[in-house]
Amino acid sequence: MAFDADEEILQDFLVEAGEILEKLSEQLVDLERNPDDSDLLNAIFRGFHTVKGGAGFLQLDALVNCCHSAENVFDTLRNQKRRVDSELMDVVLETLDHVNAMFDQVRNRDELIPAPDELIRALDGFARPASEDTADPDEAVSEDSDDTPFQDSESDDQGDITDEEFERLLDALQDGRQQNAPAATAAIGEGSAAADDLAVASSDNDDITDDEFEALLDNLHGKGQFSGAVDAEPKASKPKAADTGSPASAGSSASGSDELISDDEFENLLDELHGKGKSPTVAATGRDQTPADKTPNDKTPKKPAAKPSAKPATTGNAAHSPSADNPAPTPAVPARDGAAPVAETTVRVDTKRLDDIMNMVGELVLVRNRLQRLGSNSEDEHMQKAVSNLDVVTTDLQAAVMQTRMQPIKKVFGRFPRVVRDLARSLKKEINLVMQGEDTDLDKNLVEALSDPLVHLVRNSVDHGIEPPDVREKAGKPRVGLVKLSAEQEGDHILLVIEDDGAGMDPDKLRQKAVEKGLYEQDAADRLSKNDCYNLIFAAGFSTKDQISDVSGRGVGMDVVKTKIGQLNGMISVESELGKGSRIVIKVPLTLAIMPTLMIMLGDQSFALPLVNVVEIFHLDLSKKNIVDGRECIVVRDKVFPLFHIKRWLIKGAANAPQPKNGHVVIVAMGTKRVGFVVDQLIGQEEVVIKPLGRALLGTPGMAGATITGDGRIALIIDVPSLLQHYG
Amino acid sequence: MKILIVDDFSTMRRIIKNLLRDLGFTNTDEADDGNTALPMLRSGKYDFLVTDWNMPGMSGIDLLKEVRADDALKTLPVLMVTAEAKRDQIVAAAQAGVNGYVVKPFTAAVLKEKIEKIFERIQ
Repeated sequence: MAFDADEEILQDFLVEAGEILEKLSEQLVDLERNPDDSDLLNAIFRGFHTVKGGAGFLQLDALVNCCHSAENVFDTLRNQKRRVDSELMDVVLETLDHVNAMFDQVRNRDELIPAPDELIRALDGFARPASEDTADPDEAVSEDSDDTPFQDSESDDQGDITDEEFERLLDALQDGRQQNAPAATAAIGEGSAAADDLAVASSDNDDITDDEFEALLDNLHGKGQFSGAVDAEPKASKPKAADTGSPASAGSSASGSDELISDDEFENLLDELHGKGKSPTVAATGRDQTPADKTPNDKTPKKPAAKPSAKPATTGNAAHSPSADNPAPTPAVPARDGAAPVAETTVRVDTKRLDDIMNMVGELVLVRNRLQRLGSNSEDEHMQKAVSNLDVVTTDLQAAVMQTRMQPIKKVFGRFPRVVRDLARSLKKEINLVMQGEDTDLDKNLVEALSDPLVHLVRNSVDHGIEPPDVREKAGKPRVGLVKLSAEQEGDHILLVIEDDGAGMDPDKLRQKAVEKGLYEQDAADRLSKNDCYNLIFAAGFSTKDQISDVSGRGVGMDVVKTKIGQLNGMISVESELGKGSRIVIKVPLTLAIMPTLMIMLGDQSFALPLVNVVEIFHLDLSKKNIVDGRECIVVRDKVFPLFHIKRWLIKGAANAPQPKNGHVVIVAMGTKRVGFVVDQLIGQEEVVIKPLGRALLGTPGMAGATITGDGRIALIIDVPSLLQHYG
Repeated sequence: MKILIVDDFSTMRRIIKNLLRDLGFTNTDEADDGNTALPMLRSGKYDFLVTDWNMPGMSGIDLLKEVRADDALKTLPVLMVTAEAKRDQIVAAAQAGVNGYVVKPFTAAVLKEKIEKIFERIQ
């Protein structure tokens, strides 16, 4: 492929057209639901059109072809020559896939692989009005096409609107005396036939050439002239076209022999129109020609064919170089001040740069924390003032930088209508996808990282959750299943919920499966609570589908999803009710770079517990704990939590330390599981910047990273799930 | 010469802007559709308008009609950028008062020729 075009422009195109493509995929799925939405049809048409236009400049021919055919389909659709059906949608969606593939190829500097010919042919087929599929001619088209001898399927193949538009044009030209088309055609027998011929001749070849255009302008404005007053133009040309009767038919019959009009033929046609049309024009001028007198005057009756060459002769030569070649410098200067130029208000920035800024802001936050601590110890009032100022500014800066990295979750959600549609179609299910809170913003990295897990969960809901329509009907549910996807911000977290009204999960089945897979002994499985059972779906290698479908059911997914969410410092939990549906809740922090934590002390070492995991803190008389199944437990508000002395795990030499009588307990949650950690001291809430562990410590179980605390010491950030997995 | 480029696709605006720059027209502004272009035209003293046809909001042809209906703007030369040289479209545009059209994709040379033609006619 030729990439000699400006590299920057190519990049711009990829980004901007990429956005259009994303939107297209959403709009296309929407369209299937609202096939008659003309705004939507127009928007989709414009989408393909715009991509095509840009691709044309970048010489991405395969892309141009593909988009062109798709655009034609939507042109037909938006002109109501065909209705949307699922076969058409399949083809169009497949086209979009190819277009997306080509985008990737452009991005990777690969040779473009053109869309398969069958696909283009299928598109071209759909671009034809539906009337042609069914031999039953569409009234709108047939009305006048019947009496035009030269019209065949070829002409309305690509130019359906031409006839109508041209008709309208002619109507306008006929100057009110014969205002409506049927009357006009009926009244002037030969004339109308000729007008039709003209229409045919010109519509057969939809494209206009430069010469034709020049001739047209000559027609409208007089040879080589331009009059700004538009209202004069139609009137001026009216008599010509309307009275073309006999001469035109001669010209067009010549052109009628083959469907396409050549430049010469068109010129001839114009000649005839003008030459012989002159006499009726005179009669007409008296009536309706007030503002545009110069049009017929300037026009010599017989040689419109000479117009293109005549133009430069009149004034062109003189005007040529000064006006067009380099007129820029002189008037430019004064013109500038006059207007308030709307400069581009956006700048594209590499996300790498944003990451760097975020990192530096992180460092700044650390320094601020440190200064705050120092400031609070100092008696100096000025110092304290400056520190609190710094605090405000840093907080604002942090928020502002985070804002630049925010993207609406729509970027991920936008994929789902398509995913659900394709899946539902292949599984023969009927599903309605409802999305809420698509405008919720979250960190760009998170948006990307959440994409795959969410797709997996949605596919699961469609595949495992929603029952086939018949089953649903038998169960007294509506045939159409509902999958609801919502996002909302809750404090410094984002809550993502995937809900379906499908079959729900059966805890007993899950227990049985767990035993079969050897994950639990029978009696241990029987003791699992409902919620524990639901969480089994996150266990590696766990799938309740007996039959593996190509959609899901390989049991590799859910544990990957859970790990992924865990990596994002997020949490995932499942609720389900048999026969009613399931609900999966994901909670992730707004940003990955800065994490609110609860600082705790174990011995004299500080640790940071991610605040996401912290549920509550209380003081406990440790003598009140119970021992169940050989494990320490506490009962809080009638709920039992296992109790862990993490000091024994994390502090050297503390493993066999005597138990304190009193202790602080932090209840932490992972998914639906909640446990209590006994800690020595609670320091408080602190925002920390996560620093990766050095090479020596990398991979230490239970540690997510390290950070520098306000008092300048290093604190390890605890990764609760991995800590429990390793020690618990 | 001060030129306003109207297109909803910013990449396209940049392409046209670069082509115009190659031709020596450096004083260009951009608008993303007819609705934003009109106020700019009315206050901006532009000498030339290059507009795309197919845009959301106000399309190129509607913009053209507005321009021609405005006493202050009715002589403003307008070059229409279209994807195809569809005859009916061009005829309609011509009747609405367009001065020239150019079919995407085009080169700087083609653009130059189109602009020259327009100014020949106006002179």
